[in-house]
Amino acid sequence: MTLPIALIMSGCSGDGGGGGGGNADDNTLTVWTWDPAFNIYAMQEAEKIYAADHPGFKLDIVETPWDDLQTKLTTLAQSQEFGELPDIFLMQNNAFQKNVINYPDLFSEATDAADFSEFPTAVTDYSTVDGVNYGVPFDAGTAIQALRTDVLTEAGYTLADFTDITWDDFLVKAKDVLAKTGKPLLSGQAGSADTIMMMLQSAGASLFDKDGNPTIADNDALKASIDMYTQLVDAGVFTEVNTWDEFIGTFVNGSVAGTIQGVWISGSIQTATDQAGNWGVTNLPKLDIDGGTNYSANGGSSWAISSNANVDLANDFLKSTFAGSTELYDTILPSSGAVANWIPAGDSDVYTQPVDFFGGQAIYADVVKFGADVPSNNTGAYYYEARDAVSAAITKIIGGADPDEALAEAQSTVEFAMG
Amino acid sequence: MSALTVTPEGATREEAKRPPRGDRPWLGTDRRHNLTGWAFLLPAALLIFAVSFVPMIQAFILSLQTGRGTRLDWADPLWYNYQRLLGDEIFKQTVGNTFIYLIIQVPIMLLAALLLANVLNNPRLRFKAFWRTAIFLPAAVSLVAYSLVFRTMFATDGFVNDFLANFGVDPVNWLGEPDTARAVLILGLLWRWTGFNMIFFLAGLQNIDRSTIEAARMDGANSFQVFWRVTVPQLRPIILLTAIMSTNGTLQLFDESWALTRGGPAYASMSMSHYLYEVSFQRNPNFGYGAALAYVILILVAILAFIQLKVGDKRD
Repeated sequence: MTLPIALIMSGCSGDGGGGGGGNADDNTLTVWTWDPAFNIYAMQEAEKIYAADHPGFKLDIVETPWDDLQTKLTTLAQSQEFGELPDIFLMQNNAFQKNVINYPDLFSEATDAADFSEFPTAVTDYSTVDGVNYGVPFDAGTAIQALRTDVLTEAGYTLADFTDITWDDFLVKAKDVLAKTGKPLLSGQAGSADTIMMMLQSAGASLFDKDGNPTIADNDALKASIDMYTQLVDAGVFTEVNTWDEFIGTFVNGSVAGTIQGVWISGSIQTATDQAGNWGVTNLPKLDIDGGTNYSANGGSSWAISSNANVDLANDFLKSTFAGSTELYDTILPSSGAVANWIPAGDSDVYTQPVDFFGGQAIYADVVKFGADVPSNNTGAYYYEARDAVSAAITKIIGGADPDEALAEAQSTVEFAMG
Repeated sequence: MSALTVTPEGATREEAKRPPRGDRPWLGTDRRHNLTGWAFLLPAALLIFAVSFVPMIQAFILSLQTGRGTRLDWADPLWYNYQRLLGDEIFKQTVGNTFIYLIIQVPIMLLAALLLANVLNNPRLRFKAFWRTAIFLPAAVSLVAYSLVFRTMFATDGFVNDFLANFGVDPVNWLGEPDTARAVLILGLLWRWTGFNMIFFLAGLQNIDRSTIEAARMDGANSFQVFWRVTVPQLRPIILLTAIMSTNGTLQLFDESWALTRGGPAYASMSMSHYLYEVSFQRNPNFGYGAALAYVILILVAILAFIQLKVGDKRD
């Protein structure tokens, strides 16, 4: 048993051979990132822009799915094989704190890679540890409520009826839409805390207090979020499915008439070409509690510079592209829906252009406006543990368990993980 | 012996320097054969020691340490990680899940494999090679690939629900409910591994002297009696082997839990090894705790294998 495993492991480190930016030639940067239609594409465009001013500059982009990327980072840090790291890698915002705190040796400071005052604080907070910036924000995770306008019309509503409303309003109207058209407005993966986490962040709340202690039990915002989520599921206006593909399928095949997600979901929505012109985007419903807002975020990612990087080149590259080129964002926005965090990019004309798919609405300008109002989210090192524990609690609550008990259990699970 | 007889002094000394039975060289034929054997074994033994035993020792040392990521310190007390396991609700749940798989899946699988092997061993069966290949083929499929296929088949809008709809059965959320998720996982394991074990039984059956079976027939035993009283006892070593292999494999179950259900819903189908991976790589890396988990799995495998050997091995 062990021998094949050892061979596989050495095979893996061999695959990472694309890394080692420091020892490659002086004009090439190695990048690990995961989505060919999205962030890989953005990197390729950035390469073109930077190469125009710096002849001979090249990127060696290695497609690495996020789960693999995290495992690779952990393995390399654990075995101290920092030489295998690429120059730049993309990291989920929610995982940034955890990785910097656990493995500071993986990172170089990114303080010179951008003027961080040109990004919203809610976004740079993800990659800032002890006041030091370790990442250049890439795509915004600003949450949107995207709805099928034709279905709303059929039920006698407009997009305005779903703008600046509370979740209680939403529930009443969504039930009405379901009764009149047979279509639920929302869907999501069962056992995923995505929707709950967006509700929670919209009220400026999180699963941790300022000192990083878990606040899952006796968390009023969390209880209100779960209570609302349960009502949505029970009323049938939120369809639970098991996998991500099924989730995407629910609105692409038209069985569900909307979604609430990070703005990156607009790429998936637009694959339903038969529904072109029938979608609209607005802000989220808000929780009817103190601090509740209509704005939230989910996901988003930032570029990190590794400890093995050609630091000067990597800094200059990021500063001239993702933190300094409106041309780059103008190119990638229409074709991939990558909404910039870099505030100056939002002034560009491209953002104010109407998008035909969304009925001529200039959705990206709206999203940039939403982004400015998103409350900051306290992730911390144990974000994923807490999220998993809450996901398990939600599954139990939907199954009929007592919410207080299930959340107390989740709290002790996280405390256990931290102990 | 000549050495004991009275001889000149010099001769006695000569004799004394030699090993007893001085007519043989110091390296006897037996011993030389033995050493040759060891020489051939040595490279493999060293390799196994280096890649299997050394990591095991390292893992044990690691299991006595605690800390996040690379910053590990000796645990206080040393067995802290093991003590911690006793209070870990998720771990207990994964142990429970794994034993459900073990208790339900292994007996069904071995019985099915035994019956299939017996049927395919029938000399009068036609297209024997085809049947054997067809039943063994799942074992050649990648674990992840088949898990993904099962996941698609058992999706809420998947093949199975579509099929059941023809009979008026409401769609079942197979992977979303604890019991059905475990059932799908067990079904997957049965599909994947039954053919694999069948091959061992087939090989075992080839070694059974047909005359013993014919003799039983002559004495008036029916097919079931022949199978149960003549074939099965002679297959005992193979049954023991497959039982230990399957137990071992099930206790270390990872791929299906990971690819088919992601351990969900709410840890209801997560295996012990999947939890080990979560603890080490998915969450804040706690390799000390992960290593302790690995050792508990090892100890469980060892205990079960020991029991099976005691119960199953009736050699004199």
